[in-house]
Amino acid sequence: MDILTAKNLCKTYGAGETMVDALKNVSFSIAKGEFVAIVGPSGSGKSTLLNLLGALDAPTSGKVYLDGKDIFTIKEKELSVFRRRNIGFIFQAYNLVPELNVEENIILPLLLDYRKPDKKYLDELLGILGLTERKHHLPNQLSGGQQQRVAIGRALATKPAIILADEPTGNLDTKNSREVINLMKLSVEKYNQTLVMITHNQSFASFADRILNVEDGVVTELGGENR
Amino acid sequence: MTSYLSLVTKYLSAHKKKTRLVVLSVAISVALITGIFSMLDVFQRFEKMQMIHDYGNYHILIKDATKEEKEIISSRIDVRVSGEWIFFRNGSLNGKECRVDAIDESIAPNMRVDLLEGKYPVAENEMMLEEWAAENLKLKADDTLKLIFSDNTAKLFVLSGICSDYSNTKAEDEPAALLSVAGANAVNAEKTTRLYIEFKNGVNVNKAQKDIQSSLHLTDDRIGRNEYLLAVMGQSSADKATELYMTGGILFCIVLIAGVMMIYNTFNISVMERVQQFGLLRCIGASQPQIKKLVRREGLQIALRAIPIGLLAGMLITLFCTALLKFYNKNFFGEIPLFQFSIGGIVAGIGVGFLTVLIASFVPAKKAAKVSPVNAVTGSNDLKISKKKKQGLLTRSFHVETAMGINNAVVKKKSLLLMSYSIAISIVMFLGFQVFIDFLNTSIKTSKPYTPDITLTSEKGLSDDLYSTLRDVNGTKAVYGRMFSYVNATFDASRLTDSYKESMGGIPTKDNGQFAPREKSWLISYDRNQLNWANMDLLEGELSEEKLNKQNGIIAVARNLRNNITTETTSFQLGDKVFIETPNGTKEMTIMGILRSVPFNDSVLSMTTFITTEKLFTELTDEESYKAIDIQLQKSDQEDAFNQIKSLLNSSVTVYDARQKNAESNQTFFTMAVFIYGFVLVIALISILNIINTMNTSVASKTRYLGVMRAIGMSSAQLYKMVLVEAATYSLSGCLIGCVAGIALQKTLVASFLSSYHIVWKFPGAQIGLILLMILVITAISVISPLKRIKKQGVSEAIGSL
Repeated sequence: MDILTAKNLCKTYGAGETMVDALKNVSFSIAKGEFVAIVGPSGSGKSTLLNLLGALDAPTSGKVYLDGKDIFTIKEKELSVFRRRNIGFIFQAYNLVPELNVEENIILPLLLDYRKPDKKYLDELLGILGLTERKHHLPNQLSGGQQQRVAIGRALATKPAIILADEPTGNLDTKNSREVINLMKLSVEKYNQTLVMITHNQSFASFADRILNVEDGVVTELGGENR
Repeated sequence: MTSYLSLVTKYLSAHKKKTRLVVLSVAISVALITGIFSMLDVFQRFEKMQMIHDYGNYHILIKDATKEEKEIISSRIDVRVSGEWIFFRNGSLNGKECRVDAIDESIAPNMRVDLLEGKYPVAENEMMLEEWAAENLKLKADDTLKLIFSDNTAKLFVLSGICSDYSNTKAEDEPAALLSVAGANAVNAEKTTRLYIEFKNGVNVNKAQKDIQSSLHLTDDRIGRNEYLLAVMGQSSADKATELYMTGGILFCIVLIAGVMMIYNTFNISVMERVQQFGLLRCIGASQPQIKKLVRREGLQIALRAIPIGLLAGMLITLFCTALLKFYNKNFFGEIPLFQFSIGGIVAGIGVGFLTVLIASFVPAKKAAKVSPVNAVTGSNDLKISKKKKQGLLTRSFHVETAMGINNAVVKKKSLLLMSYSIAISIVMFLGFQVFIDFLNTSIKTSKPYTPDITLTSEKGLSDDLYSTLRDVNGTKAVYGRMFSYVNATFDASRLTDSYKESMGGIPTKDNGQFAPREKSWLISYDRNQLNWANMDLLEGELSEEKLNKQNGIIAVARNLRNNITTETTSFQLGDKVFIETPNGTKEMTIMGILRSVPFNDSVLSMTTFITTEKLFTELTDEESYKAIDIQLQKSDQEDAFNQIKSLLNSSVTVYDARQKNAESNQTFFTMAVFIYGFVLVIALISILNIINTMNTSVASKTRYLGVMRAIGMSSAQLYKMVLVEAATYSLSGCLIGCVAGIALQKTLVASFLSSYHIVWKFPGAQIGLILLMILVITAISVISPLKRIKKQGVSEAIGSL
């Protein structure tokens, strides 16, 4: 079953002489439970693609269906609700809320949805992420790897339809990177989550079920399924 | 680019919007400081005019100066003008009671005696009258009139000239006969003389006074000082005035600090926002002094752009105040030029502006220079690492967006403190100044709803017919009657004040605790409307016509005018018994209310004043007709109405025209109020702008953070609420501190300064309500524009902005 479908996505920045086609007619779909890596050189349009998939940005033309819903037809007001329930984000710079502790950061999307966090699930999550001991720490008391694990926790908290990660290991050393990737892979499998991850690192891409390559705004499948 | 310092210019022109914001807030602060200084300067000029108008243009006076003393004084180099004013006891002029005075021509203009026609009285048999009095007595220049002095000697005078009206004499229907000094000296009736002295500009009055006193061997009790004028000129040595200067000084410092803080705040934020940029410069090899120099240069450039704008705006604020006063009173302030350049204000604006920007750029420059290059570039400089772990209590008791809003405000302790205090200061000042306004309102007899424009009285009583005819006269707004009578009243002798007993030469207490009254008391009747109006001045008890009638109630008045001086002769308490002699024997009445004062006075000396209902009044005195009718006129066509009223009256009716006096008191009040409220407004503006500015920068500096929040699913409504809660935390904590401190200040001010005026402190519910409302509105306004900007920006743009 396809959880995410992109159809003829185009994104153009600027106009006239400075016009740049960031994405050109991108179409693909992702099935539930898949781990998809997006690779490509700098400026190829990876982040633009991810932003569109996460409804953080609007395309020039084309459509994205998430869980059967055309996300660009959703009104701004409902979009934020849709986003916090269906999409989890992991950023390169972690982007944790510095004033909130680990636990609060993880349950933040739930709190924004006025839901009571499921204590059992939260404890389990903290356990998997190895953050049980540090749940009352503030982000700046944590190492980069730990911070990124909190971000993973935050993305998983609402059990979203899809998790989008933009170079989650970009700021981490090899050891921490491997740990984070492993954790992501583990949680995706455990909770049957769908993960789309941008990475520069070919060896991390190899963890994925599929690899999409973006070059000059054109997306091609590299096919890592059988590796 | 020739020098690294051109980076400043490039930066400022690249970030036009941000630069404009910083320039604007510095300009506003400079405007406010210039405004405050100029306003103070102009205020002093206006108030000086007002005081000269109200109390006369003299600095000191010498009682009963001898001829020799007069000559020595007038030949002194520091004396601009000096002249004698001779006061007699009241006499009568063609049968009408009048004041009798004589003023030296030299000092006459200083005392607002302006010749309108004819010539100033010089010869022994010449005199001068006010315009209204001449008209009233149907006299014109060169007429002969007969003046009977208090010792019953009569003398014929020629009316040599007519001078302008005095509001007091007009309101009391008691003309002033102004003789020549020579004429006055030729009369043997009892008189007192005073030598009024106006010093030249720039003379130190206190020193000159001491000099005169020691050279002429004058004792202190022969010297009088025009403390009102001296206070405005800053030359008063009276304790009250010194206290006033001190209070003024402190208030002024607060304003200054608030202004300085605002500039500092703005500049600090603008530098701290760019820590990363400075870190980057450090990375590529900028030294710490270079960074400092950069920041300071930026400060200088901003100051250069902001200060001229600020100065202009500050002058506009002052212009507005001047215009308001000029417009309100064309006759009086007409000569004051509309454009008032206060050199002091301009210098202060420039000085304070530059100094503050310099200081304000030193601290952030130091901070910016200290930034570790690594921290700056990785962006991990935001929070100091605290050792404490967080339990996350807030998120448990509030919705998350509310909790985060509060948190955002509380985390930044310095700006929370700065904001709260700046808001608190304005509230405290507002509440504090309100006391002065209240005080002015009650102490200067400004027109209240019940103040009459014209009062008609007649010994024989005024008929009901006249009363109803007057109501129908075109141009009258309200007509209400009073009966009054003088009755013998006695009560517990302990209720008389010591000062009254003393002035009466001691009043023996009888066996039953009462006393035999030396003077009659004034008994006045009020109808229902008048009782309602009197509620404004009610100190204790209540004013209900039914209850007064049922329980034989009367109302005492705490402050009475005796000989034009406010005095307290009694200190009644609710429930005290008063025994009034009536034609049908003594009647016992109960005090059911105590008023601060009554809005009219009488020339007859009375012990105290009582008020009762019309029904009880008739029972007590057997009188039924009004002794006085008060009339309020419509704003327009007053003269027509006044003439019409006059035509209805027969000769037994005396007309008191209080309009000029009311207008003058109103104006005295207005002059003060314009500046006091002007001050409050400026201070309020500072804190309002501070809130808006802080919210703007606070939101701007969190663009990325807010972007992330939106990415993980915060809705616009939640975002709005979060930012609003942050702003509200600032303003409400300031509001709380301000209200508590302000109320405490009000209470102390009222208790320590105004209790003798029978002004009681009441909880300022309406003011607090107003403050809260204002604060909420301002808070809401302060987040509008930053949020608009955020919303315009896409989420991906915001996140990618670093």
